[in-house]
Amino acid sequence: MILTGVLLAVVGLGLVGWFAARGRARLLYTGRGSMHSMPSYHGWHMALWIIVPALLAWMAWSFMMPGLVDGAVLASPAAAQFPPDAMSRAAILSEARTVASNPNAAVFNPLSATLAEPMRAAQQRFGLIGGLIVLIVALAGGGYGLTRVRAGFPARTQVERAVLGVLLLASLMAILTTFGIVASLLFEAGLFFKDVSPIAFLTGTHWAPGNAGGENISDNFGAVPLFWGTIYIGAIIAMLVAIPLGLMSAIYLTQYASSKVRKLLKPMLEILAGIPTVVYGYFAALSVAPMMRDFAASIGMANPSTESALAAGMVMGVMIIPFVSSMADDSLAAVPRAMSDGSLALGATRSETIKRVLLPAALPGIVAGVMLAISRAIGETMIVVMAAGAAARLSLNPFDSMTTVTYQIVQLLTGDQEFNSPKTLSAFALGLVLFIVTLILNIIALRVVKRFREAYE
Amino acid sequence: MSNAVWQTPEAVRRLAKRHAAERRFRLLGLSAIVLSLAFLALLLVIMLENGLGGLDWQFLTGSDSTNADLAGVWGAAKGSLLTMLVTLVLSFPMGVLSAVYLEEFAPRARWIEWIEVSINNLAAVPSIIFGLLGLAVFINTLGMPRSSPLVGGLTLALMTMPVIVISGRNAIKAVPPSIRDAALAVGASKVQTVFHHVVPLALPGILTGTIIGMARALGETAPLLMIGMRAFVVTPPGGITDPSSVLPMQIFLWSDEIDKAFVQNTSAAIIVLLVFLLAMNGLAIYLRNKFEVRW
Repeated sequence: MILTGVLLAVVGLGLVGWFAARGRARLLYTGRGSMHSMPSYHGWHMALWIIVPALLAWMAWSFMMPGLVDGAVLASPAAAQFPPDAMSRAAILSEARTVASNPNAAVFNPLSATLAEPMRAAQQRFGLIGGLIVLIVALAGGGYGLTRVRAGFPARTQVERAVLGVLLLASLMAILTTFGIVASLLFEAGLFFKDVSPIAFLTGTHWAPGNAGGENISDNFGAVPLFWGTIYIGAIIAMLVAIPLGLMSAIYLTQYASSKVRKLLKPMLEILAGIPTVVYGYFAALSVAPMMRDFAASIGMANPSTESALAAGMVMGVMIIPFVSSMADDSLAAVPRAMSDGSLALGATRSETIKRVLLPAALPGIVAGVMLAISRAIGETMIVVMAAGAAARLSLNPFDSMTTVTYQIVQLLTGDQEFNSPKTLSAFALGLVLFIVTLILNIIALRVVKRFREAYE
Repeated sequence: MSNAVWQTPEAVRRLAKRHAAERRFRLLGLSAIVLSLAFLALLLVIMLENGLGGLDWQFLTGSDSTNADLAGVWGAAKGSLLTMLVTLVLSFPMGVLSAVYLEEFAPRARWIEWIEVSINNLAAVPSIIFGLLGLAVFINTLGMPRSSPLVGGLTLALMTMPVIVISGRNAIKAVPPSIRDAALAVGASKVQTVFHHVVPLALPGILTGTIIGMARALGETAPLLMIGMRAFVVTPPGGITDPSSVLPMQIFLWSDEIDKAFVQNTSAAIIVLLVFLLAMNGLAIYLRNKFEVRW
């Protein structure tokens, strides 16, 4: 609480410093060329010297404070009757912390109630000390900044150096995120593979994480049915819908439609890509799945299930259409005009030109686009969660209910179980597989697209 | 003689066949588009048919409830609003600054290539993976409050940032070098050139990309499912650390209800979400048309 207030005070001080330094710098101005930097750069230099060191001190103190508070509480007389083992000590302390910040919180251990008062006192005390330290650092930084306000001081270069530092930090965020993804997936999956052998996980055909445990734990984590369901729904059914429709749409829009029609139809097609996946999922579950079930019943299947791979795959395919279409659009546009003109000049019709000249020439780009579309389809979650079902089975029948990697990740992580069981950890192992597969698909596809572009330039 | 070859009955028939094939192909293309758009129309019509009846004041201002008649969408909408706020505050400055650095200042070096590769890959990583990251890092390691807009916003910000960086770089690239040369020629420093001239000119493009990225984040469900934003929230969240739900999550939760009355609520919530998305995309198109400069 105190520390938040201190932060606001530091920002206020920075503002004051900005005006003060600018004002002083203005007094130094005696004519053209009398100063190295404009007065406002002196203001920024001052403000940075106030805020940055104080912020660093604030972060260091907020990092250290919980430990100091705990130490002080443990040294208080009320803590003398603590149980000796570290586990229950930590539990009582964290409970006392909750009570200290919220007096109405439920208490399980009576000891923590008695500790709440010393805890609050210690928090107050260390908060005050920390606040004072931060303020002193801010004032010291400001004092130093003020001594720098001189006519010859290169305030602008200093400030610009700081700006470049901030820019660099911002762009490092992307690497940090990638690193965070890889590290967290590898770490949690590593814990999982301590219990379950990776070979059993990647080649086993029996998936039943619910009754996993004891000796034969590896037998229940065979992920092949999930991989099959993912491929069947995302890479086969969805692509059977998306490739013909997307490709033909792109051909019509680029080769036949007048520019007026194209301007009208293309954004409408793109709306399909902007609809949230949860809406598609609901549509699949509400309308498409019952239709598929009735259709399956009408062709004589016994007990067709409402959740079918076909419904999920079809809706997913429709979602991917604009994606395939725009990728195909780009690759068709990259084919040099002279090639199709030559074919037309020889007397071939438009469709013959498209089939014999344009499509073969654009094929690498189209294949890369399809690979990107597949990587998108297998990572798609909400549609399969709402329409594909939970049964892990190896089946070729599109009317069967099937499950996918993403469905299982959701299923495994949304229950109320403890975090470190093999069951929850297996979700991270599945996530790791998904991440690696989509990464490989993307890298190959992007490389193909790049080489393909270069070939025609 | 030479003319006659083209007018033999056989040649005429062959030509007619080829033209028929041409017409068939053209029709096939048209029907592909019509089929795709028909699907879109079907989706919208079904949602409107089911949901329009449920759109009333009670629905727009209420919060979640076990009773379908009393349940409303405001609690979830407020959760979405707070989450988007966190996402915007984090991803917009980060994305713009990083785009500026990569486009204007970055040296040609190995590690810069790594940054570019990881940005391009992050833009294609499945969203559920970001959810796993949020769960492992923000909740389990840093101990942030579960189901809160804070964690949701952080996770979505990581997801939205690459989109903003990519569109920002394209917008900055589109500013002609003559602008930079002019500023440098009258004595501006590199930083001044970029922040006084290049960025303001690129801003419409950057904003368009940001709005599109935010619209995607607004419709995202899977990563938020991972970090537990499926709380049953009867009162709208008061701050970014309170447990809350978001619009797409509310749709997902209602779609799971067995009670038939929730079908109307789900469809109505979908209409509300789609209206929001439509408004955001419309704004993006408006901005692009109004401020876009053709050099």
